[in-house]
Amino acid sequence: MNIIEIRDLKKDYPLGDTIVPALRGVDLTVAAGDFMSIIGPSGSGKTTLLNVIGCIDLATAGSVKVGGREITALDDRQITDIRLNKIGFIFQTFNLIPVLDVIENVEFPLLLMKRPAAEARRRADKLIEEVGLKEYAAHRPSELSGGQRQRVAIARALVTNPDIILADEPTANLDSVTGASILELMRRMNEIEKTTFIFSTHDANVLKYARRIVRIKDGLIEKEPVAA
Amino acid sequence: MLLIKLSLRNLLRQKRRNILLGSAMAIGVCILVVANSFSHGISDIMFNKVMNYVTGHVAIRFNERGGVMREIFRDRARVFAAVKNEPLIESADEAVGMFARAIGNGRSDNIILVGVDTRKGLSEKGRKEVEESFRLIEGTWKDMESPAIENPVIISEEKARYLNVKKNDIVRVRFRNMFGQDQAERLTIAGIMKNDNIFMQPVVFLELSREKKMLGYRSYETGSLKLKIKDPQKNAFAVADRIHEKLRPGTAVIYASAAGRSGRRPAILLGFKSDDQSKKQIAGLLKLSSGSFEKTFRKDGVIVPAGLARELGVTAGSEMTVRYDRKFEKTPREAVLHVSAVCAAGDYPGRDVILLSDSGFYDLYYFDLPAGPGPGAEAYSAAAAGAWSGLVAPEWVLLKRTFNTEDYTKKYQEIARNKWKGTTIDVSTMYETASDILKLESVLNIITISAVLVLFFIILLGVVNTLRMTIRERTREIGTVRAIGMQRSDVRDMFILETFFLTLFSSAAGSLLGFIAMRLLSLITFHPQDNPLGMLLVNGHLYFLPTFPGIAGSVLLIIAIAVVTAWFPARRAANLSPAQALGHFS
Repeated sequence: MNIIEIRDLKKDYPLGDTIVPALRGVDLTVAAGDFMSIIGPSGSGKTTLLNVIGCIDLATAGSVKVGGREITALDDRQITDIRLNKIGFIFQTFNLIPVLDVIENVEFPLLLMKRPAAEARRRADKLIEEVGLKEYAAHRPSELSGGQRQRVAIARALVTNPDIILADEPTANLDSVTGASILELMRRMNEIEKTTFIFSTHDANVLKYARRIVRIKDGLIEKEPVAA
Repeated sequence: MLLIKLSLRNLLRQKRRNILLGSAMAIGVCILVVANSFSHGISDIMFNKVMNYVTGHVAIRFNERGGVMREIFRDRARVFAAVKNEPLIESADEAVGMFARAIGNGRSDNIILVGVDTRKGLSEKGRKEVEESFRLIEGTWKDMESPAIENPVIISEEKARYLNVKKNDIVRVRFRNMFGQDQAERLTIAGIMKNDNIFMQPVVFLELSREKKMLGYRSYETGSLKLKIKDPQKNAFAVADRIHEKLRPGTAVIYASAAGRSGRRPAILLGFKSDDQSKKQIAGLLKLSSGSFEKTFRKDGVIVPAGLARELGVTAGSEMTVRYDRKFEKTPREAVLHVSAVCAAGDYPGRDVILLSDSGFYDLYYFDLPAGPGPGAEAYSAAAAGAWSGLVAPEWVLLKRTFNTEDYTKKYQEIARNKWKGTTIDVSTMYETASDILKLESVLNIITISAVLVLFFIILLGVVNTLRMTIRERTREIGTVRAIGMQRSDVRDMFILETFFLTLFSSAAGSLLGFIAMRLLSLITFHPQDNPLGMLLVNGHLYFLPTFPGIAGSVLLIIAIAVVTAWFPARRAANLSPAQALGHFS
């Protein structure tokens, strides 16, 4: 079953008087539970594609279905609900909320969903334990290393049981050992939680973790798909 | 709850910046609280001290025959009855005062002799207010009642110094009584008071009954009434309107017996209005059998109906005697009337009615107020007299209500022009009679508000700039929470809540600071006699009256303005697209 179906996706950015095409007609389908990597050089459109799939940016043209639902016709409130309920994000720079401690960062999406505080805390506790940060639960992000912060980000992305987790260059700010451990963790989580993982990278070392690799260049899918 | 937690934690994130902005806000609130309390203090002094003692919050004034100097109402009990059941009246006092020339030891000066009802008794609150406003430095208030002292008075320290008199000295005063006669009296200085109110410095207090006697009032008569109202700014007009309604006059009637050559008959004496329009109407209604309208319309004109004239044995030109019981005296009053005309036919107001020109009628009526119709006797109804109901003299002339000084002045100019024959009654509020003093309060309030507005403007610029800086710094964070699934409205509310809490804490600190500032300022002693603003002082100190609604209002105002100011940058932050916000530092 396809969790994502993209047809002829185009995305343009205005740059002064000119229009810069970032995506020039992308067709892509992603099966549920996949562990997929989007690779390509800088400026190829990886982040833009992830942003459109993750409903944090709007397509200029084309069709994007997430979980069978066409997202290009939705208003901001509906799109925000999809982001909250269906999608988890892992960012290159971790993007944790600095005023919240680890456990509060992880339970944050559940509280946005208006889940009872006790239930949110239980679920967050479980995930923190799974990512190996139980003893850091009360720490603020500024007290953690890069790898630990990214683990928190992974736990936060998983906490709502989303259909898809999108990770934009998740290891770019980490050393190779930590990066590998993060990818291991993501892979393990993919297996445990059966969540679809899509991550972008331009690091060839990362590719060995992906079950499916999609190459993108100049806003177009270049070679599709390549078996891991 | 989540938003509150985030907002509070974010507040602590930029401690130095928020402390600086919070301090500016706290100083603003502090100034606002002090200004507000000072303004309330001024209002309290104005309305509950100055106005209360100078004109009262509401005043009922009487002018017999429209004579501005002749302030007298002949039925004191009647006017007190009109204010008796009004729940918003805290106290009703007779206001009898006069200007006099006082001659002390080698010096003379003008004084205002004010009657004080020391026998009335005061509530604890009233006693405290009097003691606060007039602090006796020599003598006691009780001395004013002493029969052993000749006209004991309490004089202000300044006036005593000027007149070069001390306690137990005699001051001679020259004054004009209510009937325009020049009089002289001796007053004994029984006490010397200190007061902070410059309006009160020429005032010399004398026991009310003594003052009334000096001016020529009888015990059942009064000069004017001043009323102290609860919450006067709010209630003065309404109370004045209600009292005005209760003082609507009926017809002035004298239930008498009339005697002529043929015997004595019961009779009703009514006054007829003698203005040109009324005279014209009366001439149209009556058909005289003897006498003439020319004589009838003179001041001493008397019309007797033909039937009654026959029974009494009087004709035009003859005399008759009328006798009636007086309301406040035991013995009856007798008067001789000269019949000007006998009415044979036409529309006459009653078989036993003797009509007198209002001018002559009121001479009789006011000087000795008549008793009622007596047990079993029927009261005369002017309403039943048809066309005459508008032509017979009323008990008094109730002046229309006015609501500002301009209209009030016009009203009194009209009184002087109209030459009313009856006593005029005017119900007025301090807003009409003392608007100049009240303007001072308004001016002070405007100055305070202007200063506060400028201060607010500066503070609000600080709020906007701080928030814009905060939003710029946290743009990526906004993108993160939006990407995670926070709705736009929640992002906006988060920033507004931050401003709300900052303002709330600053306001609490500012209020506390305000109370400390007020305490310190009220410790400073001023010398009111050397200070034109002495009337704004209490016991030589600045007077602050903080009120919960005032402070809560100030705090709510600053919070509301801050929140409204924060709304726009907060909304701009909320409207950022998540992708744009996330890419802010990229």
